Amino acid sequence: CQKQLEDINKNPNESEQVQPDYLLTNGIKANVDTYWGTDAAMETSLLYVQYWAKIQYTDPDRYIPAATSVQAVWNNFYAQGVADFTKLIELGDTLHNPNYKAVGIIMRSWIFQVLTDFYGDIPYSQAAQIDKYLTPKYDAQKDVYLGLLAELKTASGLITPAANTIAGDILYNGDMNKWKKFANSLRLRIALRISDKEFAAAKAVFDEIGADDNNLIVSNSDNAQLVYQASPNQNPVAKNRETRNDYRISKSIVDKLNQLNDPRLPIYGAVPRDTNKIVGVTNGLATDSAARLGFNKTSDVGAVFTATAAPAVLFNASELLFIKAEAAQIGLLSGNAATLYAQAVTTSLKQYGVSDLNVTTYLAQPAVLYDAANYRKSIGEQKWLALFGDGLEGFAEWRRLDYPKLPAAYTGALGGKIPARMTYPSSEQALNGTNYKDAIGRQGADALTTRLWFDKE
Amino acid sequence: QDNKVSGVVTARSDAQRIPGVIITVKGKNRGTNTDADGKYSIVANPNDTLHFSFIGYGAVDQVVGTNKVLNVGLESTESKLNEVVVTALGISREKRSLGYAVQELKSKDIADAKETNLVNALAGKIAGVTVTNSQGNMGSSRIIIRGETSIAGNNQPLFVVDGVPVDNSQLGIGTGRDFANAISDLNPDDIESLNVLKGPNAAALYGSRAAAGVLVIKTKTGKSAKGLGVTLNSSATFESLLVLPKFQDVYGQGSGGQFSYVDGKGGGLNDGVDESWGPKMDGRLIPQFFSNGQPAPFVAHPDNVKDFYETGYTLNNGVSVAGNSEKIDYRFSYNNTKQEGILPNTGISRNSFALNSTYRIAPKLTLSTFANYTRAGADNLPGVDGRRGNSVTLQFIWFGRQVDTRLLRNYKAADGTDYNWNHSYYSNPYWIQNENTVGQGRNRFFGNARLSYEITNWLSANLRVGTDSYNDKRKYKVAFYTNGTPFGSYTEDNYVVQETNIEFTLNAKKKINSDFTIDGLVGVNERTNQFEQNYQQAPKLAVRDVYTLNNSRDPLISTSYFSKLRVYSAFASAQLSFRDWAFLNVTARNDRSSTLPSENNSYFYPSVNAAVVLSDALGIKSNVLTSLKVRGGWAQVGKDADPYQLVNTYPFSQPFGAYPLLTVNDKYLKKDLKPEITKASEFGVEASFLNDRIHTDVTYYTSSSYNQILLADVSATTGYLKKLLNAGKINNHGVEVTLGGTPITTPSGFLWNINFNYAKNISKVIELDQEGYLNDYVLGSSGNIQVLASKGKRYGALYGKAYARDAQGRILVNANGTPQIANDKKVLGYYTPKWTGSVNNDFSFKGFTLGFLIDTRQGGSIWSGTNYTGIYTGVLAASLPGRDAEHGGLPYYYAGNNTNGTAVKLADHNAAAPNGETVYHDGIVFDGVTADGKQNEAILPAQRYYKSVYSSSLNESSVYSASFIKLREVRLGYALPQELIKKWGLQAVNLTVTARNLWYIDKKVPNIDPETAFNTGNGQGLETLQIPTTRSLGLNLRVSF
Repeated sequence: CQKQLEDINKNPNESEQVQPDYLLTNGIKANVDTYWGTDAAMETSLLYVQYWAKIQYTDPDRYIPAATSVQAVWNNFYAQGVADFTKLIELGDTLHNPNYKAVGIIMRSWIFQVLTDFYGDIPYSQAAQIDKYLTPKYDAQKDVYLGLLAELKTASGLITPAANTIAGDILYNGDMNKWKKFANSLRLRIALRISDKEFAAAKAVFDEIGADDNNLIVSNSDNAQLVYQASPNQNPVAKNRETRNDYRISKSIVDKLNQLNDPRLPIYGAVPRDTNKIVGVTNGLATDSAARLGFNKTSDVGAVFTATAAPAVLFNASELLFIKAEAAQIGLLSGNAATLYAQAVTTSLKQYGVSDLNVTTYLAQPAVLYDAANYRKSIGEQKWLALFGDGLEGFAEWRRLDYPKLPAAYTGALGGKIPARMTYPSSEQALNGTNYKDAIGRQGADALTTRLWFDKE
Repeated sequence: QDNKVSGVVTARSDAQRIPGVIITVKGKNRGTNTDADGKYSIVANPNDTLHFSFIGYGAVDQVVGTNKVLNVGLESTESKLNEVVVTALGISREKRSLGYAVQELKSKDIADAKETNLVNALAGKIAGVTVTNSQGNMGSSRIIIRGETSIAGNNQPLFVVDGVPVDNSQLGIGTGRDFANAISDLNPDDIESLNVLKGPNAAALYGSRAAAGVLVIKTKTGKSAKGLGVTLNSSATFESLLVLPKFQDVYGQGSGGQFSYVDGKGGGLNDGVDESWGPKMDGRLIPQFFSNGQPAPFVAHPDNVKDFYETGYTLNNGVSVAGNSEKIDYRFSYNNTKQEGILPNTGISRNSFALNSTYRIAPKLTLSTFANYTRAGADNLPGVDGRRGNSVTLQFIWFGRQVDTRLLRNYKAADGTDYNWNHSYYSNPYWIQNENTVGQGRNRFFGNARLSYEITNWLSANLRVGTDSYNDKRKYKVAFYTNGTPFGSYTEDNYVVQETNIEFTLNAKKKINSDFTIDGLVGVNERTNQFEQNYQQAPKLAVRDVYTLNNSRDPLISTSYFSKLRVYSAFASAQLSFRDWAFLNVTARNDRSSTLPSENNSYFYPSVNAAVVLSDALGIKSNVLTSLKVRGGWAQVGKDADPYQLVNTYPFSQPFGAYPLLTVNDKYLKKDLKPEITKASEFGVEASFLNDRIHTDVTYYTSSSYNQILLADVSATTGYLKKLLNAGKINNHGVEVTLGGTPITTPSGFLWNINFNYAKNISKVIELDQEGYLNDYVLGSSGNIQVLASKGKRYGALYGKAYARDAQGRILVNANGTPQIANDKKVLGYYTPKWTGSVNNDFSFKGFTLGFLIDTRQGGSIWSGTNYTGIYTGVLAASLPGRDAEHGGLPYYYAGNNTNGTAVKLADHNAAAPNGETVYHDGIVFDGVTADGKQNEAILPAQRYYKSVYSSSLNESSVYSASFIKLREVRLGYALPQELIKKWGLQAVNLTVTARNLWYIDKKVPNIDPETAFNTGNGQGLETLQIPTTRSLGLNLRVSF
């Protein structure tokens, strides 16, 4: 009878075992969806960094994020992302396939990097170990970044391109060389991000891998991006546009593109029905004034971003070249900053298919030319343009570089300020209260305006 | 002088005529009997005294006097204490012997309410029972006895029909439709009695599922059938709106006072806006949705929402045939119910067949069977939860008040798209009702067979096999071109639910000696529950108007789920009675459940209770004190878990193209689960006075439920969103009082009975987890507002965003004049009522009966989505104050006409602005203080004012008291005189008019009905755009042959 009762209680609906490839596909798909989706991008970071603006329900664009957005980003990245990849790392060990382990570490590190960029101090060293820690402590942002640098180095070292094939890899189709490039590029991204604070640690990373272009994303063909498919696996932006009409391209970026005669303007923006030019919308209008602008008189973002199979980009070559340019400028890396800057801009234009002739013309403009004396402005503005569509990375780099100079939302709720981070979800106060209080005690009030450690005044 | 005196003799309790009453003339050798109709006639002198006597009734002496007609009412001597009630496992017991409170409803208390959902008929009739009515006139209802005893689990009682548990779950919560709870399949006309076992003390024998109480239902049999035994029952009930929000009819669609229609999605001036902050509806000419771009008068249509609703009706027709003979009793019934909702194209139907029979196969062998088959279904059910695709209440609270809904009736344009006033968010409301439908079909069988063998005159063996089995199919259609779902969708959701019980008992009843009698049983039970769900969706249709799973342009989304559990039980129960005035009852049960780990899966629970009839024991019976009984008891019950809560598994997700997906579960399960335990005790006194003219029952009870199985939220940073815990503890205690009496009874047969019920329950959440890191458990939420079980607090806290206040409690105001919202949420109220009560009156005279029931719920709060949304959108009348000079608005202007600047107040409405700026008249000043403690003076335009006070980011302004007093039921009945119907060959003809939910004598929350439930879960107290509740008026005719 005991045995019979045990048999009855065996769950016939779900698997007790998990295959690494299925877990990997899910981990990539679910987390890129979050990264490129409503809560982390469209309703928050894309608005804060003024790539997009809202024309309906403008509260998020006035820096009043929906509680659900704040919660969703946190929940998805931790419970889907960190949890899935922690399991994959464990499977890499038990199945003796270091490549799965490496991929698990790289993806998990990318998620932690995005989380700390967005929130600041986060549970990291005690995260995703529920048996040991039901209330994981928050690690200081510095410790998170330094920890990730070490983890990514380990991952890079684990990679064996010739053996241990992996399946289910919808990012690089099992090409372990490309995973190595992604790991190393992430290390440089993090190293530069902490360079204002931890120059020596950053320098060590650049000294080790900064010149090794063979193992970095320097070509658009190596971009870390998820190419979406037909419905129901369409790009999150495409999915949004199937039924909603809430967003427009921001006036801030349209103005800048116009000012620079930028050939990316007709790619980044779409011509509205009732006008023949691209019209951006001011960020943070009151709902009634925004609606008055007219849905058919203002521009959505371009079809490249709203197409069903549009890619979601986690890391592009242009960014890596901007990283190198800035590193060269501030002494993290040897090389010519101006040349690297020009390469970075070129690579961005090329990513969107701009012709060589137009690239040359564009680069020759005084407003585009690299200004070593004010490199933060040159790099800040062009990197901002190059990262269009990638709200979270754009938002992080804009905070670090403090360029371009953006006006606060027109009727923003922060007294003329622009968000400098995302607030922690309210669930943390209830469920992890003590550690949460420690974190805000260290970092400052849990407000949108609190500057993070990496973001020097 | 001898005269002929005649009259009718009736029973005072129910005004029924009594045949066979012996009438004698005192002191004379003369007498007679009442005939079959209770009538008599006798010759007597005015000085004579007539003596009326009948077994079971107190004799009455009446002086003849000048009366020619002398009608007499007899009082039953059967004390209330001698009533027999059905207790756990179908055991009949005298009320006097029970150590716990019982309250029973009879057939007419239930059937006369003419509610299609049985649960609704119980509202206000039993102390300590809280019924939350379904919205509209169909759908689900929630019933709670003595407060919530489980933090996260089911808090509704177990329903037991003729000794066999019958399912009352509500499947498909959260699908945007209000599916009826499953007990609504039972035809109220088949119920003979319904006994409410209010908690573990009464229901311990049901074990695992008794913590929330048990409703023991006995169905009608053919045992007492007379004549042909045929009864026809026919009723028609009409339903109309009870509470409709009060709308404003001054301003129409738009924003900032402006509106002009081009395409209804932002192409015109604010024509994508679904709010009424637009121009005044004063007949000015504005292009509108129907006018093809031409200006048309912008005028109000005050009844545009009301007109959309229809008069609902319910037709109920039934027939039953009952008979008995030496060998067999039987009763067969058929009932057909058809209900049309108040929303267009909504309706449900039910056909039920029931057969109850007893066969005396041999002198010692009896077979009883009960079989019920119900086919219940709906072509379309109302949409709930405020979803765009299916909720018209959402559309009407986000509305252009100028819209003439009559123009929307032809909802489909020639190209197949919908014709509507707005195309940003909504499809035409008639489109929603007619195209986006949800059909339901449920086939259900429940029944049991019981074989009983009398081994000796004191011992019998009983075998009972019962089953409840149904399949429930739902079909969700969303049409092509529906707003937000351009390709539509089609979903099939099928359930198969089954419970089987096999039970064997040995029952004994033996008189040990002249003082002691023992009555007991021992038994075993095997219970098996199975549940299956198959869900398939074509997420986008390939071709419009064809609803089949093959018609899909995307891969189908499908899930299937199967679960099974089994419980083996052994139990015993005994009652020892001493001289029929002292009683000791003990029960014991041991369950072994498949859902718990083998080391914890066997659990034992006992109960003990005692009753002493003091009036008999002490011989203190008098003319004043008829009876007095004290009672008390203690019980413990255990409860298992749901299946599959022990081992972590990996769920599947929709594949990414050719790649299958598996993910780590977001729930972390628990290998070593223990059963939940509820301990309860109760004490009570029952007393009756003046020959039962007054009777009362007072109960005090406590219960404590611990080791509760909670799927608690945990910080996502653990890698999981929820963790299964085994620690929650909740305590309840309360008082129940019933007081009944017969203030007036006259010899002529006039009778007035009155009954009060009062109940107060206090629940407190003691603990959520042993480690103490969990303070709140979320029961439900809507946006920012949550319903919580919070440690140390009453159950059901409404927890949400509140005003920021200074030390003196004054609301702080931002520099721009809007109220400040506090950073931390706070408790804004509790949905659980402080006390409930009711008063029921019954009058009868001759063939007439009149009854009315008033009930009340006091204390408790409700958060109202209708109120905050409707004010935010400027649709409700509550958004009118301050909108113009006429409605008390203040005059102001903006320097340089910069509308994003600060509003500057003007002295009066006729004053001009200094530089000729535009003058506005809709200024409102929020009553609060600025950071430096000064009274706020900043002017806000009305639209901005209301949007800042009534918004999803500030919940405090939308929490109201849920207290109410309601005239629940009025019944007027007439039984045709026997002399008349005898001629027609009939046994009884009864006409009843029943009105339900007639009138709110008092309620605190405007615009909505405070009794609102969208589902039967624990997350109550949130009103999210309810469908208006209804009042009903029904006419019922019952004819017996």
